[in-house]
Amino acid sequence: MNWIIAALTLLVLLGSSPVWAEDGVTDKEVVIGAGLDLTGAVANWGVNIKAGMEAMFNRVNAAGGVHGRTIRLISYDHVYQPPKAVTNAKRLVERDKVFVMMGHLGTPTTKAVKDYLEEKKVPNIFPATLASMWTNSGKWHVGDLATYTDQTGLIVDYLVKERKIRKIASFYQDDEYGLDGHLGGKARLKHTHDLSYVAEVDYKRADIDFSSQAAKLKESGAEAVILQAVYREPPRLAEQCHAIGYNPLFIGPSPIVLAKTIELGGKHVEGMIGVEVYPLPTEPGAFLDQYRADMAKYFPNLPIDTTNLYGYQKAALFVEAMQRAGRNLTRDSVLKAIESIKDWDPGWGLKYGYGGDNRRGMSNAGRLVVVKDGKWVKVSDWTELKEIGRK
Amino acid sequence: MAEILTSQVVSGLATGCVYALIALGFVLIFKATDVVNFAQGEFVMASGFMSYTLLIGFGVPYGLVLLATVVLSGFMGVVLERVVVRPIMDAPIFSIVIATIGASIVLRSSAGIVFGYDVLPLPTIFSKDPVRLGFLQFTAMDVGVIGSSLVIMVGLYLFFKLTKTGMAMRATAQSQTAARLMGVSVKRIFSLTWAISAAIGGVAGVLIAPIVYLDPNLGFIGVKAFAGAILGGFGSIPGAIVGGMLLGVIENLSGYFFNAGIKQVSTYILLILVLVVRPAGFFGAAPVRRV
Repeated sequence: MNWIIAALTLLVLLGSSPVWAEDGVTDKEVVIGAGLDLTGAVANWGVNIKAGMEAMFNRVNAAGGVHGRTIRLISYDHVYQPPKAVTNAKRLVERDKVFVMMGHLGTPTTKAVKDYLEEKKVPNIFPATLASMWTNSGKWHVGDLATYTDQTGLIVDYLVKERKIRKIASFYQDDEYGLDGHLGGKARLKHTHDLSYVAEVDYKRADIDFSSQAAKLKESGAEAVILQAVYREPPRLAEQCHAIGYNPLFIGPSPIVLAKTIELGGKHVEGMIGVEVYPLPTEPGAFLDQYRADMAKYFPNLPIDTTNLYGYQKAALFVEAMQRAGRNLTRDSVLKAIESIKDWDPGWGLKYGYGGDNRRGMSNAGRLVVVKDGKWVKVSDWTELKEIGRK
Repeated sequence: MAEILTSQVVSGLATGCVYALIALGFVLIFKATDVVNFAQGEFVMASGFMSYTLLIGFGVPYGLVLLATVVLSGFMGVVLERVVVRPIMDAPIFSIVIATIGASIVLRSSAGIVFGYDVLPLPTIFSKDPVRLGFLQFTAMDVGVIGSSLVIMVGLYLFFKLTKTGMAMRATAQSQTAARLMGVSVKRIFSLTWAISAAIGGVAGVLIAPIVYLDPNLGFIGVKAFAGAILGGFGSIPGAIVGGMLLGVIENLSGYFFNAGIKQVSTYILLILVLVVRPAGFFGAAPVRRV
C-alpha cells in the first residue's frame, strides 16, 4: 500500500510544482494585471492606457520578450467604482495569479485596493493615478510622474507669479483624486503666497450637471478656476459658466489634458490650460517615433493621444525594470530593479530616477499646455517641480 | 444673488423638463398596462445614438434627424412591447418589470458594443451662448429645451382630450374590460402606448444628449425621472410633469445652497419627505381602502 501513496504523492508533487517561486512568472511568460475603467466615466483614459501598454508589450513580445519571457496583461473593467476595483483585484491576484499590478487606473479605485495588495505583497507598479500617496506609501507602491499636488503647485505659482491672479477658486472631484490636488493647492497658496481659495466647489464622480457649481464660482469672483477633474467635467463646467456670462481662466492638472476634452468642449475650452508631465504625443524624438509606429501598427483605430502615450511610457518603464531584474524575476527583484533606475531617458529628453525612498520617477518635470485652435500646445518649458510638495 | 438664483431656476427647469418627459413615458405605460418600464431611460440613450449616427454618420439635416429619431424611437417601443412584454403579458407584473430591466441592460450593452463607451458630443440647433433678458440670464438651449417639452406636453394633452384614439387610450387605462366591450382593441392600444412613450423618450434624448454628452450610460437618467414620477404621484400625468420639473429645480438649488453631496441625495430626501406626508405623491389618487 505504501508504494501507492508514495507514487501518488510524487505525481501530485510533479503535477503542481511551480517552475518559478513567484506567482505569474513562468519560464516563458510574465502575467501582469490591471484594473481599468473601460465602460464608465473615465473610460477614454482606461481604454487608451490599456492600448498604450499593449502596444509596447506587443512589440517587445514580437521580438522575443524580456530575458526570454513574453509579457501578458490581464485587465478587468472596474467602471471607476471602488467596490468593483476590489473584486477585480482579488480576481487578478487569487485566480489569475498576476505577478504585479500595473497601471491600475484611478485614485479612488486604486486606493480601494491598496491595503489588499499590501496584504498579499503584490507590487502596485506605476498606477494610472498621480496622487501623492503612491510616492510615500512604502515598499509596495511605485509612482512614475509628477503628482497632482506637485502639478497644482506649478499651477498656483504660475497663476500668482506670472498671471498676477490672486482670486483663485478650486473645482474638485470629492474623492481621493480631487482632494489630492485641491489640498496641495490650498497648502501652496497659503504657505508660499499667503492666499486662500476664494471658493471651494466640489462635485461627485460621474456627475453630469454643474450649473450650481458654475453659479457659486461666478459669485466668488474668481479670476481663475483650478479644475481637479477629468475630461467630462471641464468642458461642461466651462459651458455652464459661459452660459451665465462668467469667463474665468480654467486650468487643471494632467488628467484634463487629452483630445477628448477639446472634442467635447469645442470653443468653450479654448484657452483652457493644463499641466503636462510628459511630452505631447506629436513631438519629435526617437521614443515618440517608436510610440507612433507601435500605435499605428497595433492600434490603428486609436488616435495618437496623451492618454495612450501615458500607458505606453508606463510599459516602457516596466520593460526597462524587467531588463534590469534579469532572468531571476521575483517581486522583490523587480522592485529593486526599479529602484536602480537613475537618470534613465527612454529617448524623449526627460529622465526617470528612483533610489533611496524616492518612488516618484520623473516627478521633477512639468510644464503648461493650452488649448489653441482646437489643439493642446505648449506654453512653457519643462520646470523643476522638485521643491514642491512633500520631500 | 437674485440674478444667480433665477438663472439656477431656469437651468433647473430645463433639466426638469427632460426629467418630466421621461417620467411621462413611465406613467403612460404604467397607466395603460400596469407595467413599470425600466427601459424608459434606454429609449433616451438609444435615440441619442440614433440621431448621432444620422447626423454625423450620414450627414442628414437636423430637422429630418429629429423626425426620424422620434419615429424610430416609437418603432423601438413597439418592437420592445411585441418582443419582450407581450409574450409574457399573463405573467405576474413583477416578471414583466424584471423583463424590462433585462431589456434595458441589453440595450445599454448593445450601444456599448456598437458605439463604444466613449463620451460623444451630440450637436444641437440650440445655441449654448448666454442670452440676457432684463435680469434673467439663460441660454437659447434652456429655452429650446423648455419650449420643446411644453409643446410635446400640450400636444399630448390635446391628443388625449380630442382624438378618438386618445379617448380609447384613456378608456383602456380606466378599465380594460370595459374598453374591450366598447370595441377598443386593447392590444393595439398597448402597442400605441409603448410607441408614444418611446417617442417621448426619443425627444428627451435629442434634447438632453447635447447637454450632458452622449454615452451608453445616459439611460441612468431614467432613475431620476422615475423619482420625479413618484414625487408627482405615480400614475398621474400632471404629476409626472410637475414632479420632473420640481426635481430639476430642487437639484440645482440644493447644489447651490449646499454642496455636491447634498445635491446628489436631495432628490431622494425630497422623495422620502413627500411620501411621508402624502403617500400618493402630489397628484396621485389616495389609495382605495378595501374592506
